[in-house]
Amino acid sequence: MGRENFHRILNETQQDVLRMGSLVEEAINRAVDALGRSDVALADDILRFDDIIDDLNVRIETNCLNLLALQQPMASDLRTIAAMLDIVIDLERIGDHACDIAQITKSLAEEPPLKPLIDIPRMAAKAREMLRESLDAFANHDAAIAHLVPQKDDEVDRLYRAVFKELIEFMARDPKAISRGSNLILVALYLERIADHATNICERVVYMVEGVPKKLKRSVVEINRAVAHSDTLLNPS
Amino acid sequence: MSSATEAVDYVVLTIGAFLAAAGLAALVAAWRRTAGERVRVDSQAPLEIPIPVGTPNDESSSRRMDALLEALPAGVIIVAPDGRVTAVNASAAAMFGIAAERAIGRALIESVRSYELDRRVAAALADGVEESSELTFIAATERRLHVSTRAISRGDGKREALVIAVDRTRMVELETMRRDFVSNVSHELRSPLTAIKIMTETLQDGADPTAAKEFLENIARETDRMIALVEDLLDLARLESGRLDLRFDSVDLSALIRDAVSSQSTRASKLGIRLEAVTPSNGAAIAGDRDMLTQVVVNLLDNALRNTPSGGAVTARVSSTDSAVAVDVEDTGIGIASDALPHVFERFYVVDRSRAKSTGGTGLGLAIVKHIVEAHGGSVEAQSELGRGSLFRCRFGAVARR
Repeated sequence: MGRENFHRILNETQQDVLRMGSLVEEAINRAVDALGRSDVALADDILRFDDIIDDLNVRIETNCLNLLALQQPMASDLRTIAAMLDIVIDLERIGDHACDIAQITKSLAEEPPLKPLIDIPRMAAKAREMLRESLDAFANHDAAIAHLVPQKDDEVDRLYRAVFKELIEFMARDPKAISRGSNLILVALYLERIADHATNICERVVYMVEGVPKKLKRSVVEINRAVAHSDTLLNPS
Repeated sequence: MSSATEAVDYVVLTIGAFLAAAGLAALVAAWRRTAGERVRVDSQAPLEIPIPVGTPNDESSSRRMDALLEALPAGVIIVAPDGRVTAVNASAAAMFGIAAERAIGRALIESVRSYELDRRVAAALADGVEESSELTFIAATERRLHVSTRAISRGDGKREALVIAVDRTRMVELETMRRDFVSNVSHELRSPLTAIKIMTETLQDGADPTAAKEFLENIARETDRMIALVEDLLDLARLESGRLDLRFDSVDLSALIRDAVSSQSTRASKLGIRLEAVTPSNGAAIAGDRDMLTQVVVNLLDNALRNTPSGGAVTARVSSTDSAVAVDVEDTGIGIASDALPHVFERFYVVDRSRAKSTGGTGLGLAIVKHIVEAHGGSVEAQSELGRGSLFRCRFGAVARR
C-alpha cells in the first residue's frame, strides 16, 4: 500500500464514519417519531437499519486496523485512526439505543398512550443536535465545536430528571401505568446515554486535533436522588 | 398571500423546477462537453499560438449556465466521478444548510450528512442508476425534499452525478395544516350537531315542560356556536378573496375598546379572569370600518381569554401618538413557544390541538385579525413568553387631529 493509497483509504474511512453517523442520526429521529405516533412499521424499519450500521462498523474497524498494521502511521494520522476506532463504538451504541427505543415502541403500541410526549421529543432533539454537532466537529477537524457541544448535556440531564420525576408521580398515582411508565423512563435513559456518547465523540475529536486527551464533561445523572425522591412519593409516611 | 395561492405557487414552482431539471441534465452535459473540448484544444495547442480558448459563444454559454444554475429555485449539486463535489448552487446550499465554498472539493457526505443521498449519488456514479423520490433531510431544521439523482456520462467513460432537489417542506406543512383544519372544523361542527340531535329526539319522545325548556335553551346555544363558526369561515373566505367592502369612517378606538371589553366582561368573570381596558382620555381616532375593527378587538380578547387560566388577567390598551395608534391586548396566560410564534397568524394554525378542542378555538380568529388590520393599512405582531403570557399589538395610522 503506497502513501497515496494510505491517504485514500484513510479519507474513505473517515467518510464511512460520517455515513455511519448520518444513519445513526436518522435512526434516533425515526425512533422517537415512531414512539410518538405508535408507528410499528417505522419501528421495524429502524431495526433493519441496524444491519447496515453494523456492516459499516465492521468495514471501518477493518480499514483502521489494516492502516495501523500495514502503514505504522504517525502523529495526526495515528490519532485520527485511534479516534475513529473509538467513535464507531459510540456510534454503534447510539444505534443500539435507537433500536431499544424501537422495541419499546412496538411493545407500547398495544396499549393506549399514557400521556402526550413532550419532554421526551425535546430530549431527543437536543441529543440529536449534540450528535450532529459532534460529527460536524469530526468532519471538519474542528476542536472548537467539540469543546462547546458537551455544555448542552446539562439541558439533556435536566430534561431527564424532569421526565423521571413526572413518570414516577404518574405511576405512584396509578399502578396500571407502571409498565408503560417504566418503559418511557427507559426511553429517556437511552436518550440521556446518547447525549453522553456524543460527548465521548467530542472528546475523541479534541484528542484527534489537539493531541491531548481531555475529559470534557461527564454527566452524572442523579439516579439515586431521583429514586430516593420516588420512595418518598410512594411511601409518604 | 393566501394559503390557497401559496399552494398553487408551490405546485407551479415544483413543476417548473422539474421542467428546468430535465433540461438541466442535458445542459450540464453540453456545458461539460464544451469545457472538455476547450481543455483538449488547450493541451494540444503549440506554445507559440495565442491560446484560442473556445469562441466567445462558448464563454457566454458557460456564463449563462452559471447564472442559470445560481438562479434556479431547485437545488443543484454536481459530483465528479471521484466523488468530490464540483458545484453547489445557492438553492442547494440553503436547502442542505451548507456553505458552497466549503463543500466544493470535498466528498458529499462531509458536508451533506445524509446516508440516503450519499448512497444514491454513489449508485449514479458507479452504475448510472437514477432515482427520484422524497427524502427527509435533517440538519438544523427538518426538510422534506424531492430529490432526483441523474448520471451524466462523460466522454472518458466515467460519470458525473447530478443532484436536483426541490424543497417541499412548506407544501407538506400546508397539507398538514389543511388536514388538521378540516378535522378540527368537522369536530367543531359535529359536536353541537350531535348534542342538538340527541336533545331533539328526546323532545320528540316527549319531555316534561321544565326539561323541554332547558333542552330548547341548549339547542339555541349549540346553534349559536355553529353559526359563529360558520361566520368565521365565511368572513375569512371573504377577506381572503379580497372582496372586502370596508365602510371607512372616523373610529375612536378608545370607545371601541371599552365597548368590546364590556361585552366580554361577563364571560371573563365567569372564567375568573380580570379583564380591563386602559384607554387615553382624549380618544384615539383612526379611519376604518367600525364593525371590522370591533371584530379585531373581540377576536384578540377571545383568544386571550381562551388561553389564560383562571386567576389571570387580560388587558386591552390603546396608546396614541400624533401619527399612530396602537392597540395592545395582553394576557398572563399560557404563552406561545418561540417556534410556534411566527405561525400564529396563519390560517388553520393552532398551537395545541387538544387545547383548542377543549376551548373551542378554530385557528381562524387571528388570521381574521391580520387580514382586517392589513386591509386598514396597519400591522399586527405577537410577542410571547411560554408560561408568562402573550402580547398582541396592532398599529394603525392616526387620523390627523383637527
